[in-house]
Amino acid sequence: MKKWLAGLVSLTVVVTAAAGCSSDNSTASTGEKVLRIAMGSPGEALIKVWEEIGDEFESQHPGVKVEFTYQDDDTYQTIGLPNLLSGKTPPDLYFEWAGERLQTRIKDGFAADITEQLQQSGLGDMFEEGTFNGMKVDGKTYMVPTAGDVTNVIFYNKQIFDSLNLSVPTTWEQFLEVSETIKNAGITPITVGNLDLWTAGNWVGHIISRVVGEQAYSDALQLEQPFQTDDFVRAYSLVQELWDKGYLNDNINAIADNESDMLFLTGKAAMHPIGSWLVPEAASEAPELELGYFNMPTIAGGKGNQESVIGVLNGMVVNSKSALIDEAIDFMKLYSSDASSAKLSAAGAVPITKTGLDRDNTHPVSVSLTDLMQDAPELVSPPDTGYSIEVANALNMATSQVIGGAKSPEDALKELENTIAPLKK
Amino acid sequence: MSLRKLSPYLFVAPAVLIFAFTILVPIVMTFAFSFFDWNGYGEMSFTGIDNYTRAFGDKIYLSSYTHILIYIAVTVVVEVLVGLGLAGLITMGRKGSSLFRIALFTPVMLPMIVVSYLWRFVYNSDFGLINTVLRSVGLESWAQVWLGNPDTALLAICVVSGWVYAGFYMTIFYSGISRISKEIYESAFLDGANEWTIFFRIKIPMIRSLVDTAIMLCVLTGFQSFDLFYVMTNGGPYNATEIVPTYLVKVVFSHMSIGYGSALAVILTVVIAVIGLAAGKLKGKGNTLEY
Repeated sequence: MKKWLAGLVSLTVVVTAAAGCSSDNSTASTGEKVLRIAMGSPGEALIKVWEEIGDEFESQHPGVKVEFTYQDDDTYQTIGLPNLLSGKTPPDLYFEWAGERLQTRIKDGFAADITEQLQQSGLGDMFEEGTFNGMKVDGKTYMVPTAGDVTNVIFYNKQIFDSLNLSVPTTWEQFLEVSETIKNAGITPITVGNLDLWTAGNWVGHIISRVVGEQAYSDALQLEQPFQTDDFVRAYSLVQELWDKGYLNDNINAIADNESDMLFLTGKAAMHPIGSWLVPEAASEAPELELGYFNMPTIAGGKGNQESVIGVLNGMVVNSKSALIDEAIDFMKLYSSDASSAKLSAAGAVPITKTGLDRDNTHPVSVSLTDLMQDAPELVSPPDTGYSIEVANALNMATSQVIGGAKSPEDALKELENTIAPLKK
Repeated sequence: MSLRKLSPYLFVAPAVLIFAFTILVPIVMTFAFSFFDWNGYGEMSFTGIDNYTRAFGDKIYLSSYTHILIYIAVTVVVEVLVGLGLAGLITMGRKGSSLFRIALFTPVMLPMIVVSYLWRFVYNSDFGLINTVLRSVGLESWAQVWLGNPDTALLAICVVSGWVYAGFYMTIFYSGISRISKEIYESAFLDGANEWTIFFRIKIPMIRSLVDTAIMLCVLTGFQSFDLFYVMTNGGPYNATEIVPTYLVKVVFSHMSIGYGSALAVILTVVIAVIGLAAGKLKGKGNTLEY
């Protein structure tokens, strides 16, 4: 009899323990409404601003509580967000990249059409039309923009350029000449840290779009057209030439992006193709470095727009399953106000509302990059944030093989076609 | 059924339930997922054995097995054999051998992530220890981009693995050798044996079963290695150091192909099971020498 009792007790313990895991409180106990906001961690300074805005929102909307979820960036970008969205307490408002990723959310039914709300609340008018690039599908808007990054321009060290009497190259030929001069001076002309493939992937993605044309680039990444074409070979040949002539750091595929940043910031390399996020880093790590940048030089005979800019816009999406859509829009209106923008600027962000950018107190290079993006005649999406990640990874792998001198353009593209063959269904 | 008959089942229930939830259910689910095209949260569509046929045509996946086999073959040498040699050396009873014992065991105590970052600096082609030393002694041409060159990257990782685990296997062998009684050495010395013959004729044969276990451990943990590869190269350059676990992480967590990833995991499980069984059969008659 005692045995039986002990067995029953231990069983009960297990069952209740298991049940305890699943009984999650989905509503706040007081009955007040909870506005849940999810994003990858924007860093401590910006988290403070988000929470300040949250407090302000709560005081304006009695009965609504704002709850933030910050995840590690990598986690959020991969499994974190899908998990949150399919969980029991999904976010009402969440961070996402415009383009392919947003389209996936729309397709899966996690993005609300907020065209009307944007118009009625006046939130939509707070941004330039171009800021909604990649956030509209069939004329409907699905995202409130919060930031934009030019994911690739070529930064250069002004001191090195001055000491060698170099001027900023505007054509590919000049770019090669500049590189040759720098190489002869015993300095690495260009440094790229391509361990994780997206760095060269971004830069070369831009080169490809300039050579093959934006449409062909986009079609190929959406598997509507093959990669193995003469135009792609031509684009890759330009890249191959950079390696063959020794203009790139020889450990290009062995070091990560931050290691490459250091090579550039310490003056070991003269040029560094990377995104706009380098500016605040350069300002804090190497304040004595005179930082300059130029957009990708024009490529003669290229089929794309030679003034194009590669970049990605991101913003906040309202969950279509949310019961608090109007509250979410109100929150974003508060976030986009000039007062909030000032706080965001002070914390190091670059707001993209019409009037949010504080031009006098932001790093001049950052201001210039923001203008470059907004005035871009053509905004090219990077492979990894604009398109299916599997195809992007395959393209970036081919890029790394060409830029590291491991494969000829033809061979790399042939292998690329093999890799993506199972994806064409 | 009377309570008396029921009670044994109630007693094992907690253990069975925990086992079921943590091990049995995931295995069954993984097997089930492998027949679907699924991104982890959206709709699942049944695709039959498509994932498996794709796996057998996936060059990166197949080459990742080659890389694991090379890694295992090299690590058996640099971990087990080197460990054996070191154990032989520190049991010679020379002065200071206990110092070496501690020094050689230290890497085992460092977290693998720390080791990986440490060695990334050692291998760095610009300011890394190896290239700096090579340049300073005039062997400029030997300097390499160790982790960026497909020919050297995998071997470079094997060396790090050896640096860590040679000390671990040394400790195991050391404890085995210490149990051999002193009389055996004494009589061997009287018969004119030197340290060399003692090592090969007495020490190794008498810890034979430990060596077998070490090799088995080395082979099976080879399939589990992940952290070293993930931090040092993450499969690169050009998939030259891609192993099944790093590729699985890419497929599942980066490409979000849960279905395909599950199929790859199922194949890996089968491969390990087959190797384990084959090794068990081969081992069969392991006879340790006794005096």
